[in-house]
Amino acid sequence: MYFILSGSPIEIAFHFYPWLEAHSDPVAGLNTLSSCMDLADLSGDGENCLVVADLGSSSSGSLGSGMKLKVFRGTSLVSESSLLDLPSGLVAFFMDLNEPRVPALAVASGPCVYVYKNLRPYFKFTLPGLEVDPLEQEVWQQVRLGQIDTVALKDLLEGIRTKSELPLSQRSLRFLSLEPENMEEFVMMHQGQPIRRQTVITCMGTLKKSTADEDGVSCLVIGTESSEVYVLDPEAFIILAKMCVPAPPVVMDVSGQFDVEFRITVACRDGAVYILRRDYDKPKYCVELSSHCVGLVRVGKTVVVGCSDQTLQGFTQKGKRLWSVPLPAPITSMAPMRLSSRGFSGVLVALASCELRLYQDQWVLNTQRTPEPVTALTFGRYGREDGTVVMATQGGAMLVHILRRTASLQKPEGGGPPGAQSVRLNVPKKSQLFVDQTLREREQGPLMHRAFHRDLLRTRLRTAQAYSRALEASTGPSSEQGPVKLHAAVQGLGPNFRLTLYVVNAAALRPITGLSLCMLYDPALYTVAPPLLRLPLLAPGLTYALQTRVTCTGPALCDVIKVCVLQEGRSAPLLTAHINMPLPEAL
Amino acid sequence: MEVSMDPLFLAWSYCRRRKFQQCADICTKILQDGPYDQAAWSLKTRALTEIVYIDEVEVDEEGIAEMLLDENSIAQVGQPLLPMTQSGRPITGFVRPSTQSGRPGTMEQAIKTPRTASTAHLTWPSIPKNLIYQGNKILSLQTLFEYIFHHENDIKNALDLAAQATEHAQFKDWWWKVQLGKCYYRLGLYREAEKQFRSALNHQEVVDTYLYLAKVYQRLDQPITALNLFKQGLDHFPGEVTLLTGIARIHEEMNNITSATEYYKDVLKQDNTHVEAIACIGSNHFYTDQPEIALRFYRRLLQMGVYNCQLYNNLGLCCFYAQQYDMTLSSFERALSLVTNDEEQADVWYNIGHVAVGIGDVTLAYQCFKLALAFNNDHAEAYNNLAVLELRKGRVEQSKAFLQTAASLAPHMYEPHFNLSILSEKIGDLQSSYIAAQKSEDAFPEHVDTQQLLKQLREHFAAL
Repeated sequence: MYFILSGSPIEIAFHFYPWLEAHSDPVAGLNTLSSCMDLADLSGDGENCLVVADLGSSSSGSLGSGMKLKVFRGTSLVSESSLLDLPSGLVAFFMDLNEPRVPALAVASGPCVYVYKNLRPYFKFTLPGLEVDPLEQEVWQQVRLGQIDTVALKDLLEGIRTKSELPLSQRSLRFLSLEPENMEEFVMMHQGQPIRRQTVITCMGTLKKSTADEDGVSCLVIGTESSEVYVLDPEAFIILAKMCVPAPPVVMDVSGQFDVEFRITVACRDGAVYILRRDYDKPKYCVELSSHCVGLVRVGKTVVVGCSDQTLQGFTQKGKRLWSVPLPAPITSMAPMRLSSRGFSGVLVALASCELRLYQDQWVLNTQRTPEPVTALTFGRYGREDGTVVMATQGGAMLVHILRRTASLQKPEGGGPPGAQSVRLNVPKKSQLFVDQTLREREQGPLMHRAFHRDLLRTRLRTAQAYSRALEASTGPSSEQGPVKLHAAVQGLGPNFRLTLYVVNAAALRPITGLSLCMLYDPALYTVAPPLLRLPLLAPGLTYALQTRVTCTGPALCDVIKVCVLQEGRSAPLLTAHINMPLPEAL
Repeated sequence: MEVSMDPLFLAWSYCRRRKFQQCADICTKILQDGPYDQAAWSLKTRALTEIVYIDEVEVDEEGIAEMLLDENSIAQVGQPLLPMTQSGRPITGFVRPSTQSGRPGTMEQAIKTPRTASTAHLTWPSIPKNLIYQGNKILSLQTLFEYIFHHENDIKNALDLAAQATEHAQFKDWWWKVQLGKCYYRLGLYREAEKQFRSALNHQEVVDTYLYLAKVYQRLDQPITALNLFKQGLDHFPGEVTLLTGIARIHEEMNNITSATEYYKDVLKQDNTHVEAIACIGSNHFYTDQPEIALRFYRRLLQMGVYNCQLYNNLGLCCFYAQQYDMTLSSFERALSLVTNDEEQADVWYNIGHVAVGIGDVTLAYQCFKLALAFNNDHAEAYNNLAVLELRKGRVEQSKAFLQTAASLAPHMYEPHFNLSILSEKIGDLQSSYIAAQKSEDAFPEHVDTQQLLKQLREHFAAL
């Protein structure tokens, strides 16, 4: 099967599915991680290969079998060579300026970096050893000289292990874990060699040396179990820089050039992301994550971190969090997706729920189903196709998807956070006056409080007085004695008005009888017909509208007409309303 | 022996000291002795005119009749602007037509009715036909015109006089053209008025003419033309305060408060004691949630000697919202002592009620809102707030009745509708709730809570 497409296929109806499933090999037998996968033009003919450092079959139980360096070209496996130790990282990088431009491969495993050129072993770089406890050295020395036996050795080493600040060397630890009958043999085998304590490489990346070109010479950046980050010279393989982080690094991302300025973003085992800069041997910025990091990718100036609490979080280069989106399932793998031809950069996130998601910032652009959870993925040029994602799944299958050339990579209209979230609230600026006033409040708080309370008491008194006066005069639209309410409307331009009075019985249940409405007015100004209205039985909750006619007879002045609600057998009105009559507007 | 002052000089002096009544009295006495004293006639006319003089430019409130029967305006009448007075309010930035004190209902009335009741009447024979010659003999024509126009309020005769005068001046005197325009305006002949004012402007650029013409355009419901005219006027009279104020007012009426504030600020640059500009900027700051700045403006007014109920009311409210509690209640107290009518009193009580709600004193709030209603039976906001308090007391029916009243009094307010909707929804009357929510939506389409309630109700109906 050939997946290299020539010419644009006709795809009008399927713009929503940006991926073409180009190749799928369910029995490829890949068991790897994203960090052990890379795409590189190893033959120099412009056709990129997939290079995988296979972790070997995990089903066999022991880790020491089947670790291989595999190279795929097109749909077939073209090369396979054994690895000595479990790989922890694989990168393709240019180590010199020789033509043709063919990158070298660096495979990190254990304490060493194995460099391959033209798929042949070329160089082995071993990290410098760590300091060994002199007591431990002394003990082994004595063993070699036959001064102590294995039982004494065991006791001594155990003593050192509990007391010493430095951890024991690998050999001593291995010895202590052996059964007593195997100890003798082990000592015989190893006593001749000098004792060393080695660290282990945990992650690896590349850093351009002095130019930002695609095929510029790159340094290797190595993170170790001893919480250090090294930058190696690509030609001489000497350590150019050594930096310390507070915990062993797990994932790293490198940007910039070594000779100019660079940033190494490392997620460490203490659940924090550290950002290292040139000329600093300590982290410049630190981001404490809410949970452990499972993947770290840099997109433009944003560092995207996938966390084990099923979130994807974006940070600035200074460690300020920009956004966080929840995911439906745990992340299994992440890779950056940079498509320079279209100026696009995003993040591919594979989830345990068999999904491959494409994120641009916090927006999901696309979700693609995969047959199995993806454990490793990488995006780049494969074969002659620029936008290709190569995946290895949990079951060992290899999947190749190609981005359609017509695929739309626009942010969805309705996607992302709701629009209201980005609307700035219309909160006024904090004025200097406001600040001054708060200062005054702070300084004269008790004084203000006292003044306010004095005023409040006075106001209460004054209000109560006014209220009682109003009650006595039965002004106010609803009486305190009865639940009758009254409001009025005046209609007309004058001199003839219609006065409509709305009466409501607001009692819950009881109807009211025997009420009448009486109008009080200045007879020199108005005539009201009729001046007295008898109210029918007022059922609770209903509004009764009563009308009367007011004619302005006097000079064009406005006056108040009082409306009293009277009850039979009571001398005082139930309530009184004052109606401000409008001026008659004779045209 | 006492040397008495020449009575005519005394009258003149009174006139200059704006004691017009005394001036007119002395003139009357002089005229009793010699009825043909032209100076006395002239002075008396002028004094009587001054007593009732209203700045024509400022007077522009339409009566209800005119609003309803006006065929010039295109927009719907009486559609109030949206939620402006939803919570405690400084009554307005500024009460506009402010020449005469006391509110006789509408200002228009103050212009229209002849002021017979209180002021003296010049005994004048009915205006003869040959006005010009007669007028020339006794009074200067201008004085005569102003007397007829302002004191007699006899626009028809004033128009006759002005028409003859302008003819006499061979249509070259801008002053008479302006007077003609004023008469036409008063008579509602706006197009004629426009012609006269335009013509007057061709003869002489005068600020007043611009103002009159802009008034005509506003009455014709052409605010943009009026704005352009004001800007034209500003080209001739840069920085003229009245023109700037005119622009600001038009912006304000078009609900473009931001630009209005800009122009008011320009006004203040020219005249830093302009009460209207200060008050309007203050109220704008208040409604854009900067009470501390509003406070600063109102205090400026206080320093300038403005001393009335509205100002203290606004001060109190600003103090409360700017957390200057020690000044709040004392300001309201002073406002209460300065009230001139029941509506003001109702507004002050309403605002005190707001403060009471703010500090959680429900009893005080209740009494205050009740008092607001006692003084102004149509205070819809007070009804609404009272309803909420009643609901808190558990008196649902009472609360509902208050809300219904508030809703019928002020259908343009969304709060009563919304509250009624919530209340009805709580007691299970979904139909009423839905109707009220729809009304609330009509009044305030962007109100999120209303939208949510409507959505919830629709879902509920769909589920049934």
